[in-house]
Parts: sequence; structure tokens; C-alpha cells
Amino acid sequence: MIVCVAVVGHQNNPLYIQSFTEADDALKLHHIVHCSLDVVDERVNNPKKSGPTLNETFLGLLYPTENYKVYGYLTNTKVKFILVTTDLDVRDADVRNFFRRFHAAYVDAVSNPFHVPGKKITSRTFAERVSTIVKSFGLSSAG
Amino acid sequence: MAPVAPRSGDAIFASVERVNAELFTLTYGAIVRQLLTDLEEVEEVNKQLDQMGYNIGIRLIDEFLAKSNVARCVDFKETAEVIAKVGFKMFLGVTASVSNWDADGTCCSIVLEDNPLVDFVELPDTCQGLYYCNVLSGVIRGALEMVSMKTEVTWVRDMLRGDDAFELQVKLLKQVPEEYPYKDDE
Amino acid sequence: MGREVSESCVDSLLTEMVSSYCDRFYANKPDLAARRIEAIGFQVGLQLSERYTMERPRFSDHLEAIKFICKDFWSELFKKQIDNLKTNHRGTFVLQDNRFRWLARMSVDPSPENGDLSQDNPPAENKAAQATSMHLYFPCGIIRGALSNLGIPCAVTADISNLPACSFVVRIKA
Repeated sequence: MIVCVAVVGHQNNPLYIQSFTEADDALKLHHIVHCSLDVVDERVNNPKKSGPTLNETFLGLLYPTENYKVYGYLTNTKVKFILVTTDLDVRDADVRNFFRRFHAAYVDAVSNPFHVPGKKITSRTFAERVSTIVKSFGLSSAG
Repeated sequence: MAPVAPRSGDAIFASVERVNAELFTLTYGAIVRQLLTDLEEVEEVNKQLDQMGYNIGIRLIDEFLAKSNVARCVDFKETAEVIAKVGFKMFLGVTASVSNWDADGTCCSIVLEDNPLVDFVELPDTCQGLYYCNVLSGVIRGALEMVSMKTEVTWVRDMLRGDDAFELQVKLLKQVPEEYPYKDDE
Repeated sequence: MGREVSESCVDSLLTEMVSSYCDRFYANKPDLAARRIEAIGFQVGLQLSERYTMERPRFSDHLEAIKFICKDFWSELFKKQIDNLKTNHRGTFVLQDNRFRWLARMSVDPSPENGDLSQDNPPAENKAAQATSMHLYFPCGIIRGALSNLGIPCAVTADISNLPACSFVVRIKA
């Protein structure tokens, strides 16, 4: 199950963060997202470590914690997407598929002429699309 | 002149030069946003969008008449149908329909269920009075004026305001005799 | 999605946008009009670069990003690539389009830019040149917006000394 997704701007400014748990652990999830940003920066600035995935937008597993797995994605425009899941057995294809759909939703959201670049994404359509993508995570990766 | 069969909107749209709608949609959006910044008042933005549309309409009518083979429509009823079925299709790639005719045939609605201008658009709360697509009403008014029909075009429904379609009411105010399609000062 | 509109829609919208700003909103302030038109282009460039880089790896340097503008980005907009790319290797790039579509379409338009003829007629040629340069603030803004969003702050100007060719000069800010 996906418990949190986030969009973070190129100056590490949060543009969108949404958790999907009943429990009152939003703060903890936000902290996990925050910590993952350093891992992204490190990956990108030390490309040797990432080997064959050099410059690929999908950054893979950033780090596992005891209860979560954290995945990252960095667009060409230096915007970070973070995914936190409680699934321990995650298929790479599912995560890639998730980010691909999430990226498309993000691009449409920032195409709204009233969206101000660098400011939080307040679009209701985006929130709904994200919620749909999150719900269908892992169900099928055929798309 | 022997009547030539008017071409369908689909056929014309297939034959004209086309571009990615994204460029058009995003450019229009950027213009609206810039107008809001520069003119400040939403009412004034509505007015200017309509004016821009009017200027576009008086230019587009020639291309429309040339490519569609439609004879100058004398009848307002026929004209409205042609705008909806052929005009919208050949420029925007979408079809509109005509409904809600009044008894004397001088007022109707043009209804659009799909509209490339608003892809990606969500109106912020601060712009509730904005007629985002007001350029369209201006285009219709301008184009009709060039074929001697003076009209008033107003929005009835707007999907950006939560309605289920876009609906423009077109009201014929005055029809100038057909002998004077162009201005006389040339 | 692949939605399309007729090219006339874009042409008429751009023509009208430029004449609204130059002849109506900022009639006696061409500098301000130019800045607004560039700003509109900037927003469009920003959004388009987001869209058109969606399915590709990140660029590793400036040259790669500029090449993307010349090839894929330009093709999306104009169905052709930039014809010639030059650089002085010190942060200046010159992108030449041998037949820039927005100018080509404009110059064949026989109708005057705006319906009302102004009282004092400046030399027609001069006025046409000014109208042309006003039109170019929009594509300059698009290029600057796209590159800025890709992490390359720059200034973009246009050179039309070889019409119908048009060169866009990109100066990357250090």
C-alpha cells in the first residue's frame, strides 16, 4: 500500500504532499520524505553510484526503513517525486508505471495557466488523479 | 452562381494545416493570465478577450467562406448551423450543436461539450467572474458581423463554473441587407 | 492525446495578442508591450518544456538541452528542426531556422496588422519591421522559458537580418 506521495521543487520546496493512512503518522511520513531528498541529491551528484541508471528519471529505491520502502524520481526540470510504500515485495515495473502516470498528472497540473511555478499545487483534479493512481498501484502494470 | 455543395467540417479540418493543440491551449492560457495581471479587473479582462475574439472573427471569416464553400447564408438559422457544424470543426477540431431556438428564429444556443481552450484549466476562486472562453463569443460576433448579421453573444453555461457544457446564446439584433457585405470605403 | 487545432487558430491568436499589446494596452510604450509578450512566451515555454521532456532521461549538460530545443522541441511546434546551430563555446548559441514559420505566415498576410489606419503614417517598412520584431518576443520568451525550466538561465534575442531566416541567439547566464 502506498502511504505517502510527494512532489518537491528544485529548491527542495514542497509542492504537494499527501499521505494515505488512517493512522496519525503524517509527521513521520513527512520526515521520511524530507530525509529522502538528501538521498536524491546524493544520487544525482555522484552519478558513479547509480551506474547504468545515469540520468534516468526513475531513481529506484532510495532507502528502506524498517516499515517502509522509499522510491524516487527526478524530472528533467529538477522536480522530485517521492513514493513511500509499506509493501515489502514491490515490483520494479509497478513503481515505474506509477511514476509515469504520476508524472503525466503533474505535467497537466502545471499546465493550468493559473498555477504559479514553484508554488504549491492546489488543483482538485490533480488530487483526484493522484488518488486514483495510488489506489490502482500494483493492481496491474500492463499500462 | 450554381450552388456548390458545402464541405463538411471534418473534411476541411482534415485538409488544413494543423498544429498541436497544446501550443494553442497554453498560449491562450498564458494570455488570459497576463491580461489578469495587467488589467487587474476581471470585468475588463472579459471585455478585452471579447474584443480580441471580435478582431479574430472578422479576419477568420474569409478563410471560413473560402474553405467551406458555403454560400453566404442569408438565413440566420442556416448560418447558426454552419457555424456550429463547420466553423468550430474546421478551426478547433470540435463539433458544436445548435438548440433552443426561439419562436421567431432570431435567438439560439450553440452548445460545446468539448473545448480545447480549457484543457488543463481550473479557475481559481479569485477569478469566479471570469468568462475564460470569452474570445469565442467575440469570434462569433465578429465573423457574423462580416456577413451582415449584428448579434449579441452571451454565455449561458460554462464547464469551468461547474456546468455540464459550454453554451453560448446568439441573438440576432439586426440583419443588414446582403448587397453591402463589405465596408464601402475601399 | 494528440489533439490538434488548425494552424490558423494559433496564427490569429498570436497576431491578435501582439496587436492588442502593441496597439491597445501599451500603444505608446513598446518596451512594456515587448516585455509582456515575452512573459506570455516564457510561461508557454516553461509548460511546454515540462511536457516535451516527460519521457526522456535528464540532460547531462547545456549542449544536450540546447540540442533538444533544436530537434524535438522545435519539431513539436513547427514540424521541422532548427536548420543550423552554432556556438562560441563560451555560453552563446545561435539557433537558425531558415524559414521561420511564424514569420513566413505573417509576411504573406496582405491585410494590415490592425484595421484602423493611424493618423500619422510612419514609413510602412519601418512599421512592418517593428511589427515583426514585436512578434519575435513571443518565440524568444518560449525558448527562454523552456531553457530556464531545464536549469539554464539565459537571455534570448532574435536576429532577422536574413529573412525569411530567423536566428535566435541564446546567451547563457554564468
